[in-house]
Amino acid sequence: MTRATDELIATLSAEAAPVRRLSSPGVRAAAWLAAIAVVAAAAVFAWSDLADFWRRNGQPQDLVALASALAAGIAAVTAAYHLAIPGRSRAWALAPLPFLAAWLGASGYGCLRLSLSGSAEHGDSSACFMFILVTSLPLGALLFWRLRVARPLAPRLVATLAALGVAALSAVVLQFFHGFDVTWLDLAVHAAAVLVVAGVGGLAARLLGSGTAPPRAA
Amino acid sequence: MSVPPSEQAKAQDRRWSQLMAAAQEGDRRAYAELLQAVAPLVRVLARRRIADDDAVEDVVQETLITVHRVRHTYDPRRPFTPWLAAIAQRRTLDALRRRGRIQARELQDDTRYETFPDPLANKEAEDGLALQSAAGLMEALPPQQKQALELIKVQELSLIEAAAVSGQSVTSLKVNVHRAIKRLRKLAGREP
Repeated sequence: MTRATDELIATLSAEAAPVRRLSSPGVRAAAWLAAIAVVAAAAVFAWSDLADFWRRNGQPQDLVALASALAAGIAAVTAAYHLAIPGRSRAWALAPLPFLAAWLGASGYGCLRLSLSGSAEHGDSSACFMFILVTSLPLGALLFWRLRVARPLAPRLVATLAALGVAALSAVVLQFFHGFDVTWLDLAVHAAAVLVVAGVGGLAARLLGSGTAPPRAA
Repeated sequence: MSVPPSEQAKAQDRRWSQLMAAAQEGDRRAYAELLQAVAPLVRVLARRRIADDDAVEDVVQETLITVHRVRHTYDPRRPFTPWLAAIAQRRTLDALRRRGRIQARELQDDTRYETFPDPLANKEAEDGLALQSAAGLMEALPPQQKQALELIKVQELSLIEAAAVSGQSVTSLKVNVHRAIKRLRKLAGREP
């Protein structure tokens, strides 16, 4: 042991104030998701046209696509919470991938049926892009604020997963306000918006790397 | 009867876990014992990837600082060693990347050692070179070390003022200044 390391240990242990342990990542993720679910449900019941939603999303593939997007969002957010803690398996990063594949597959099948029927009702896809971006911003800010408490060792991975999660959840909420059918173009725009949000989140990883001091016990 | 190595490792992990749980409650003696006990393991992990002794010791110190900063994330219901090893591996990787960046920037410049016959003629040129050299070397420091050195030694702020400006704790500032000077000496070739 070198003298400098001994001195460092003496300094660190001299200022070792009590700290409040973080709850388990699963519990913290569930709390965040529950809070977001309450706000999203309130917004949907207050402002969306549920009859129109069921008319456009009544087919099994539509419900599978919606459930897969929701599962991808939940998996990505949960993975971000787990990977923010040292020593957790990197396999968590793969958790959202099957659900993303199912989402694209089911949505693609829906688009194919719609294009074959020739009865698609078109709308403004750029509004979808903006919806996902604008909804992801406050959700992402709130999630980053919660994640930075853990001072993640791999902030880029955690930030990318967090952003992917909020983008997928935003895409779920979007479906309740989507006043026209999801065509190929729409699906591409939705996927592009999710990728853009995930990419921007990864670039904003620095926001996770300089968290505040560990909270002290009461 | 001798205890199998795996049982020893489990017992050691349980002991470290207990010490960290106590440290999280504010037990400084347990914390000092834990840091002293884990430093050799961190050194072994770093030495697997890094040959240079000074660089290994840097990784040990950075790992201990990170343990200190994220100690609230340890869950005593889980094993301690994987939590520690993840931090040590990350800091080792950071050291290797930093080293790669520094080596990519270093240049051999033989003309710097040319001198004039009159020693006074060299002084002005050498002063300028020294300033350029110091500024260049500071660029090679990690951002937090560079910031700590600039605030404390260049701008001559107090530790409290520098902590308020930088968001770093007083301890981090002290450690970063100490390590910045050590690294500058090494980069300047004044320390083996």
